[in-house]
Amino acid sequence: MKELQVLARKLLAEGSVGVVIGYEEGPHGVRPAFITRSEDAGRLVFDPRCVHNLATYLSPRRSVVKGLGKPAVVVKGCDARAVAGLLRESQLTRDDVVLIAVRCGGVMQHPAQHVDLRAETVADRCAGCDVREPHLFDFMVGEAPTAPPATDRREARIRELEAGSPADRWAFWQQELARCVRCHACRQACPMCFCERCVADKTQPGWIESSPHPRGNLAFHLTRAIHQAGRCVDCGECERACPAGIPLGLLNRKLALVVAERFGHHASDDPSVPAPIGSYASNDGQEFIL
Amino acid sequence: MDTLFITRENLAALTADLLASGTHVAAPTRASDAQTEYRYVTDFAQVRLDGSMPRRSLKELFLPPTEPLLRWRQHQGDVELQEVPTSFPPTVVLGARPCDAAAVDVLDRVMGWDYRDELWFGRRAATTVISLACPGVDDLCFCSAVGGSPESTRGADLLLTPVTDGYHVTVVTDKGRSLLSAHPSRFGALPASGPLPAGPRIPAPGPLPLGQIRTWLESNFDHPLWHEVALRCHGCGACASVCPTCHCFDIVDEPEGVDRGTRRRNWDTCQTSVFTLHASGHNPRHDQGARFRQRLMHKFSIYPDKFGEVLCTGCGRCARACPAGQDIVELLGRIGALAAGNGHEKVEA
Repeated sequence: MKELQVLARKLLAEGSVGVVIGYEEGPHGVRPAFITRSEDAGRLVFDPRCVHNLATYLSPRRSVVKGLGKPAVVVKGCDARAVAGLLRESQLTRDDVVLIAVRCGGVMQHPAQHVDLRAETVADRCAGCDVREPHLFDFMVGEAPTAPPATDRREARIRELEAGSPADRWAFWQQELARCVRCHACRQACPMCFCERCVADKTQPGWIESSPHPRGNLAFHLTRAIHQAGRCVDCGECERACPAGIPLGLLNRKLALVVAERFGHHASDDPSVPAPIGSYASNDGQEFIL
Repeated sequence: MDTLFITRENLAALTADLLASGTHVAAPTRASDAQTEYRYVTDFAQVRLDGSMPRRSLKELFLPPTEPLLRWRQHQGDVELQEVPTSFPPTVVLGARPCDAAAVDVLDRVMGWDYRDELWFGRRAATTVISLACPGVDDLCFCSAVGGSPESTRGADLLLTPVTDGYHVTVVTDKGRSLLSAHPSRFGALPASGPLPAGPRIPAPGPLPLGQIRTWLESNFDHPLWHEVALRCHGCGACASVCPTCHCFDIVDEPEGVDRGTRRRNWDTCQTSVFTLHASGHNPRHDQGARFRQRLMHKFSIYPDKFGEVLCTGCGRCARACPAGQDIVELLGRIGALAAGNGHEKVEA
């Protein structure tokens, strides 16, 4: 923590960045912090409650953040994948950002939880994560942690759903999506939903109905899931942001597994790895072409 | 106000009576992810009166997330309009939180202001609200800071207060009294048993200086505070979707074929850029600072200006739902300090 604060203080004092985007202690757990003065660097914290993916704030549509000047951002391994995604998709150039990587041994499910990393409390995405140190960084801080507690919770749930009939899966998603009120918190919190104008907000023509009825909700969530296939970095922010408790992580994770199986692509923090949607290989499966 | 008593068994029997007579009963229930939601029930066993907070507020029973306003059908040159009913089946809400019931009463002001919203008042007229005195949820509750209380009867027709083996029943309105009169065998006189020993109550924050906050808001439209608090805001609108008093809506026409369609009213939120986006491309609320400011201004300046009270009942849902850790009580406290001219309050421009 001290190491992080000292580094942030130095970057701000020497003027190499205008803001350090990290975490601070809020009234109810940790939360994103925007440190613009070196004397405030002591507010920065990092511990397993730091679940937020701060790469979201690097999106070009964040005009208020952009106004603070060049950012340095604190990234865990999963967050670095989002930065790589933004670089890969030309939303950011590498010189636009300073990356402060933190060594991470898994995070909790909620930023206001008491730190107690166990299989029951660790975030879904940390299961099987072998990235203690992000590969994409300018500075690396923190102690080497142990691996996160193992849990098969989410994969087991996906297998359980796959074992059901299409009718069962339809019933499950109808029930879950019925709670959606189309606030679009999932999209807004997502680091990879960076479109200036989302297709769901378009009105001429209105491709996706804005009403939170079963037809509109299905159209929105399936469109978003497909737009995220091969792009989702599995940071879990959509599911955490959802005020209706819809298990969006299941949908995105399932599609990531399909992309891995079909195209051998895994969300990576190496921006030079091409996105499956933007690359072609002669051995890509094409048995679906009649 | 009269006070009577109902046992838990009789509350179950009353629910069964109501359902049998065709009255709809809505109550806190358990959702598929174990959270609590207000839903229509078919059996008392589904009712959850354990003090858990429904994730969305009671407003959705009166202003649904989406509802049809009319249907149209074209016949060559003519258009046939089919209106929706504005009268509703009798409904009882069992176990409303006092902050939620109060919010519905607060919203009656705007819903009956320059245009009387027939759908809102149609549902209001058909509905009897039975509130349940609240033990408090967590340290994000702040009803007492904005003029409410965990035992508030505002917006309720009856108030239940848990006691040993049942509930004290406080009669608040004539509508509440009618419900009692229709089911006399279910209610009794107060038993000797006193109220339950008070459980651990959430320490309520003291009153906020709402007058000073309002004055400050009206004269600090361009304050750097708005930029600072907007930094972490995703503009996601989760706050508005769980808020008991946010009531903005959008009206859309949805074709359902070449010659027919439905006009619907859907929840909307001032936190999105498209909320104020003009057809020209100009957006008067051009950044998240302006949008965040709008939500605060509406609740603590504009609504008091028009209707004499704040548009907030202190349920704390916005702070619980915010994925970025915004806390409205912290922010109002900061504004209060700025209004009081406290030089220690720091704002980063």
